[in-house]
Amino acid sequence: MSALLKIDDLKVAVGEKPVLNGVTLEVGRGEVHAIMGPNGSGKSTLAHVLAGRPGYTITGGSVTFDGRDLLALAPEERAREGVFLGFQYPVEIPGVNNVYLLKAAYNAVRKHRGLPEVDAFEFLGLVREKMKFMRMDESFLGRAVNEGFSGGEKKRNEILQMLILEPQLAILDETDSGLDIDALKIVAQGVNSVRGSERSIVLVTHYQRMLDYIVPDFVHVLVNGRIAKSGDRTLALELERRGYEWVSEAAA
Amino acid sequence: MTSALATRIAEEYAAASAELPARVVSAAHRELAVKLLCAQGLPATREENWRYANLRTLERVRFAPPSAQPGGAAPEAPVSESALPPPIEGYLRQTFVDGVFAPELSSDARRAAADGTAAREPVRSSDARFALLNDAFADDIARVHCSAGSEPSCLEVLFVARAEGSRASSYPRLDVKVSPGTRLNLIERHVSVAGDANFVNAAVEIEVGSGARVTHFRVQQLGARATWIDTLNATVGEDGSYQQHLVQLGALSARSTFRVRLAGPRAAARLHALAAADARQTHDAYALIEHAAPHTISEQVFRGIAAGRARVAFNGKVTVCAGAPGTDSRQSLRGLLAGPEAEIDVRPQLEIHTDDVRCSHGATAGKLDESVLFYLLSRGLDPDTAQQLLKWAFLADVVAKIDIPDLKRSVERALAGRIEVAAELKELL
Repeated sequence: MSALLKIDDLKVAVGEKPVLNGVTLEVGRGEVHAIMGPNGSGKSTLAHVLAGRPGYTITGGSVTFDGRDLLALAPEERAREGVFLGFQYPVEIPGVNNVYLLKAAYNAVRKHRGLPEVDAFEFLGLVREKMKFMRMDESFLGRAVNEGFSGGEKKRNEILQMLILEPQLAILDETDSGLDIDALKIVAQGVNSVRGSERSIVLVTHYQRMLDYIVPDFVHVLVNGRIAKSGDRTLALELERRGYEWVSEAAA
Repeated sequence: MTSALATRIAEEYAAASAELPARVVSAAHRELAVKLLCAQGLPATREENWRYANLRTLERVRFAPPSAQPGGAAPEAPVSESALPPPIEGYLRQTFVDGVFAPELSSDARRAAADGTAAREPVRSSDARFALLNDAFADDIARVHCSAGSEPSCLEVLFVARAEGSRASSYPRLDVKVSPGTRLNLIERHVSVAGDANFVNAAVEIEVGSGARVTHFRVQQLGARATWIDTLNATVGEDGSYQQHLVQLGALSARSTFRVRLAGPRAAARLHALAAADARQTHDAYALIEHAAPHTISEQVFRGIAAGRARVAFNGKVTVCAGAPGTDSRQSLRGLLAGPEAEIDVRPQLEIHTDDVRCSHGATAGKLDESVLFYLLSRGLDPDTAQQLLKWAFLADVVAKIDIPDLKRSVERALAGRIEVAAELKELL
């Protein structure tokens, strides 16, 4: 079976400045890949470009998702096709209720898949179940999206959205940053619960810490907008021990 | 004002004066108002506080009300109750059609009691020149006078505009007087029936006695081609509180001018206003709050959206007099540009003549935040729904403060006409 996500020699610039200089990566169905790298290596850019954030110029290469040209799709189409981006900095949206956003997103995906929309009652049941799993407080239901949430609550909320939307590909951008160990375990438990033969996960992270809880099948090191080294999870441990410099030097 | 316009107003007044009742405004005061108007002129857009007002329709307006048109009022189709907004639970209603009380459309018959009161002849500041026009032509008045009682009075005054401005004008006139320690919840609504090109010029006087509390809900939902000009003057006594919720939705051109004077120690005024303008609408407001006594409190919150080619302006001014130490004043004015040709102008102004004050003032105007929009798109919402949702959210705080369920629903329904997801949103909120 062909890879779910196929990135081929992807080059991206922000304004005149090149950020990604030819990224090539294949993510198979059911696989978990970790993309690591020093600050400024282009990790977050890669995550955002895959989700369709405006402000980036694609200067070369291609991205195929499930056999389709991903870069030709609008952000909302990518989401409905099953691409999910867990944000490093989830935005606060005062005045927009959490449940409303979840329901609107859920029904947009269902509609796209030709499934009937769910009613509020049925949907609330689903949300409650997933919230319990993520150990989130009931009061969350009545709150505005991320408004006044702590860093950890925001990240848990991202994972909750992922659990409800059931994407084919989840790209989690620095989901571990700002989490204490307990919150990290809950988040990891959420991510692990969706692992399976049909779901692929790309973890973007600076530290190997999260990989103790979400064990990746592959680890890639991004340096200067290119994948400088790939390996299995032992690569992450080696990075932890030796830092990023030796990869950077080897890649130069 | 062009002298031609002044001359026409004076002529129309002279022709109508015999029909204008002295129990509303005395003849002497009407004549004085016309004289002042001719001397001062009506406001023009070259004046600083009137830059955004759309005053062009004045040229085409006939100023006398229907009841005082020369040769008597042309017959108008009667207004049926079904054409009016549904009543608000717990609120008695007084309905005025083209400024004149319509008992058959009212559930509150107590109005006669206040009728014997002598006409109050307010002093007009230079920003209140349109109120002079009301003084000259008003043919009826809604007097809401509350004296002590443990329960708050709940009253809705519904002003219905029917006449087209090219034929006659409508002069809603509201006089509110709340005795010390008394509470009043007042709803004031302006709607159009039949014609939608009305010229409506409202004048509102409010006196809040010491320790009295007035909550005033004002909803402007006139027809698409109407002109609404509104002048409100309020005085709040010691420990009194005046709170206004203003919702601007209708009319082609709407302009509100407020002056609230905090006259007694610890008096408070709060203004929560929203405007949602689309197409070629103009929603303009000038709000002045004067702190004239120690330890007075004021708050102005404004949220305005301009879509299409609309213009939304809010000029909020606070003055703190030398005799008002301990003043606490807060302003939060925000405008949202929702169309490439729309225009927003929010201006906070502060004039302080004492040292001991606490003032926080913020004003922003801008487009929807791209990063917030992207967040919603990344969750599968289409761009249109995402934008509507964010517009709704932008107004949500101010709408939520309308704590009369029936009225809030009615405002939400009206907003739903502008913001499509609103109806769907309500399902869950």
